[in-house]
Amino acid sequence: MMLAQTSPQSSLAVPEVAWSAFAPELLVAAVALVLLLVPIARARQQIVAVPAALGGLAVGAWLVTEGLVVPGAITVLVSLALPAAVFAFPRRLSMVQALSAGTALFGALVLTGWQYVVVLDQGQATLSPQSALAGSLAHDGIAFFTRITVYLTALLVLPLGYGYLRERRLNRAEVEPMLLLAAVGMVALATANDLITLFVALEVFSLALYVLTGLARRDRRSQEASLKYFVMGAVASAILLYGMALLYVATGHLDLPGIGTTLGLVTTNRLVAVLGLGLVTVGIGFKVALVPFHLWTPDVYQGAPTNITAFMAAATKAAGFAALLRLYLVAFPGLQTLWVPVLAVLAAATMLYGAYLAVVQRDLKRMLAYSSITHAGYAAIGVIAVSDAGLSATLWYLLTYAVSTLAAFGCVIAVERTRRGEVGLLELRGLGRSSPAIAGILALSLLSLAGLPPTAGFVGKLVVFQAGVAAGFTWLVVIGVASSVIAAFFYLRIAGVMFLEDPDPDRPPPAQSTGMSLGIAVSAALVVFLGIQPQPILQYIESAAALVR
Amino acid sequence: MGWITVTIAVPLIAALVLAFAPELEATGVRVVGLVGSIGAFLASVVLAVQFELSDANLQLAETFAWIPALGANASLAVDGVSLLLILLTTLLTPLILIASWNEISDRLRGYVAAFLVLEAAVIGVFAATDLLLFYVFFEFTLVPMYLIIGIWGGAQRKYAAVKFFLYTLLGGLLMLVAILYLYGQAGSFSYEAVRALELEVDAQRWLFGAFVVAFAVKVPLFPVHTWLPDAHTEAPTGGSVFLAGILLKMGTFGLLRYALPIFPDATIQFAPWLLGISVVGILYGAVVALMQADIKKLIAYSSVSHMGFVVLGTFALNTTATSASVVQMVNHGLSTGALFLLIGFLYERRHTRQIADFGGLAKRVPVMAGLWLVVSLSSLALPGLNGFVGEFPILLGTFQVNRTAAVLATFGAVLAALYLLWAYQRVFHGPLEGADNENTADLKAREIGVMAPLIVLIVAIGLYPKPLFDLVEPSVDRVLAEVGVEELPVEPAAAVTREEG
Repeated sequence: MMLAQTSPQSSLAVPEVAWSAFAPELLVAAVALVLLLVPIARARQQIVAVPAALGGLAVGAWLVTEGLVVPGAITVLVSLALPAAVFAFPRRLSMVQALSAGTALFGALVLTGWQYVVVLDQGQATLSPQSALAGSLAHDGIAFFTRITVYLTALLVLPLGYGYLRERRLNRAEVEPMLLLAAVGMVALATANDLITLFVALEVFSLALYVLTGLARRDRRSQEASLKYFVMGAVASAILLYGMALLYVATGHLDLPGIGTTLGLVTTNRLVAVLGLGLVTVGIGFKVALVPFHLWTPDVYQGAPTNITAFMAAATKAAGFAALLRLYLVAFPGLQTLWVPVLAVLAAATMLYGAYLAVVQRDLKRMLAYSSITHAGYAAIGVIAVSDAGLSATLWYLLTYAVSTLAAFGCVIAVERTRRGEVGLLELRGLGRSSPAIAGILALSLLSLAGLPPTAGFVGKLVVFQAGVAAGFTWLVVIGVASSVIAAFFYLRIAGVMFLEDPDPDRPPPAQSTGMSLGIAVSAALVVFLGIQPQPILQYIESAAALVR
Repeated sequence: MGWITVTIAVPLIAALVLAFAPELEATGVRVVGLVGSIGAFLASVVLAVQFELSDANLQLAETFAWIPALGANASLAVDGVSLLLILLTTLLTPLILIASWNEISDRLRGYVAAFLVLEAAVIGVFAATDLLLFYVFFEFTLVPMYLIIGIWGGAQRKYAAVKFFLYTLLGGLLMLVAILYLYGQAGSFSYEAVRALELEVDAQRWLFGAFVVAFAVKVPLFPVHTWLPDAHTEAPTGGSVFLAGILLKMGTFGLLRYALPIFPDATIQFAPWLLGISVVGILYGAVVALMQADIKKLIAYSSVSHMGFVVLGTFALNTTATSASVVQMVNHGLSTGALFLLIGFLYERRHTRQIADFGGLAKRVPVMAGLWLVVSLSSLALPGLNGFVGEFPILLGTFQVNRTAAVLATFGAVLAALYLLWAYQRVFHGPLEGADNENTADLKAREIGVMAPLIVLIVAIGLYPKPLFDLVEPSVDRVLAEVGVEELPVEPAAAVTREEG
């Protein structure tokens, strides 16, 4: 309704709120659509690029005249990037797409920061959350931090995977648009404040990910992964949808705050509501890979192209947990006595089972898949805490996990590019000697995943564990500790293979390329920076707890 | 920026120089390492000069904002105990680097850098006055030590390195949970704030347990000591020296600095148990040491025994024993460090550590034999050498509190004489047989130079330990006052009844 009332002439406050609430998504989605059109023009990409850029420039100029300097400037920048890339790299479609997509994601990150300063923060200590589109989108702490994690992940995945996809001839026209759409879907999931939006968002990014997983058309594993992900994902979606229907039956509401208020009433049909809650938990649990809904993860992570795996691991988890947080804290606080113990048991099982299975893996991608399952368990501790601190902790944890896992997968990509087939422990033998930089960064990111200081992963675990202890879930935190030690065992084994063994002389060294090195270096730098000096980001994390309720 | 920061920063900077200078030649690497570690030593000497002896509190404090969002600051300060241990660290590190001048040639840059980073982290452990910072330094020591054992160690190095890492990590993480609980209570990680807490006795028990497990693994106390013999045996000489000389002290230091003052009631309640565990460790370590065929393993087990004395003294909870246990930390660092150095020198010559392979060496290596004897005597607490001035007051103080424990522990001291002298006898006396033994060369000037400061300190502390006690006692008294036992230094029975009350 707000949208309908907006007009440029009225006072600036009203339209700003509505559009600015999802400005980054608008930008990224628009660029995704344009990038889908670019390959249609084949060799004459400027036919699409120039009009699109002109349109963008017009919008940017209009925004600036409206006093929205930052969004305007970003729109102009992103609009100029496309024709610039087309003229700089004629006939190199994937480079054009990657550059343009990268600019868009960078712009989205800047816009997110702008949103924080101008819209959310408003010079106060706490955020003032807002909703948009008649309450179907929430614009608050969860949205803000998930944007950062998802867009940052997508931005880093672009250079990480560029050379890798090129060499395997997987750099087809749909990669970057799908990546952008997946990112938009993920952020939409994090902002969704009613069940319908939530479901649509989930499907948007899931469909994009099914496509991306199956990119390698000649690779049976990739095809298997895609099919498996699709079939199981479809079942999970159906379960989720059924759960939503039951929730609607029980409460008569589709919006999460409405469900939340109604569930607290005595008149609610609790049995139906509980069934709905259970089915929704299964559906989202599948996306974030909580045990026992994790079964797809190892196969899909192993089969998908590695850069896609990295994106899935880091970003899907962030989006899924954002939805989980919002559902449980906004819609289900009335059933807290029920879901907290259940989720606690699931988290405990996830941490232990994931770590236990990771120990016996020999394939690196598979091992990182199990490790990602384990990390879902840690992130869940913050949800279980049902507190502001817990919510902030989970969001922060997801960010630290994202940068660590990106750095790890980046190194896997570097090794994989010069190997035939998979990267097992044997492929890493003596890497510390033959290429100390890659081995060092891989070891660093594994340390971070294990949660050792001074890395981002340590501060992540610290904050999550602290929220757990403060909420009285010390037993769960102790299980987390036990799982960390098991996990450390296999992370150490990798480090051991790299540094304590001698290299095979006939193995080729890891690949080197500017983009990939840049992606790895930035991820690694973030791992160290967030580990040593987390304050610049962490100081905002407490304000994340303000939700649209 | 004060001198504590400088002491930590100098070796770190040297390590960074090494990290970004891949072209540096071996001599250059060694020189950078020496400059870094000697620089740290000089900085710590300045620290010692600035230190106010009469002040029992943590002093020369420095605080930097670190993660205000979590209530964690990078705050550093020293008291007598931590200053002494910092001095021990900065003294041993350059000696270690000189000692392994020729031993290590493979990936030398990494080796030297690992030691420098390790040194910085350990100084951080001793100087941190913020629980989170302490924990970060405490855990971070694992990484360089893991690499030192794992890369430059012996045949079983991977197994030993992983075992070392996982044991310590498990203990450390349990402590982290306890630290987080304390943070929840105090709202800050600052040592002062946490110490000021009035915790329920029941909570104290659990938290004390978590801290003690973490430190017990590090010390190591029986029965969580099993990583130590493996780590010691497989580590390169420098690693063994650092491990025995410094890293183990992080455990006993942690007990004294954190476990005792933060959980006074639990400390008094569990003190008898810890005395018991220490005695078991002392006797067990000694008996097992007696049976070792590998000389390095023998000294490793002797470490278990000797560190048992330190914990015994700590939990005797009176000024005599507890101060002596701090002094004994230094003594153990000096004498066991020296023994590991000598074993390293011997191993470099012979590439074996089996006692049975040696015999009659004193005729060929008189200098080494003489030094070995002095160090062994120091380790078995011969009066006039440093071991005595530590061990004797520990036993004396313990005797006042718990006679049984003191008497049993004394047997440990007797056994120490047995295994150390017997090992000395088998290696250096008896008939000189075999070409290998015939051709063993004596210590070189560099090696004697490394040993010299240690021997001087061993004798000096043995003859005149007063400065050490003067340095340590105020701080120990402060800790004991916080535990609430300062008024009971002599009458043990009263202490026991109070515990149960």
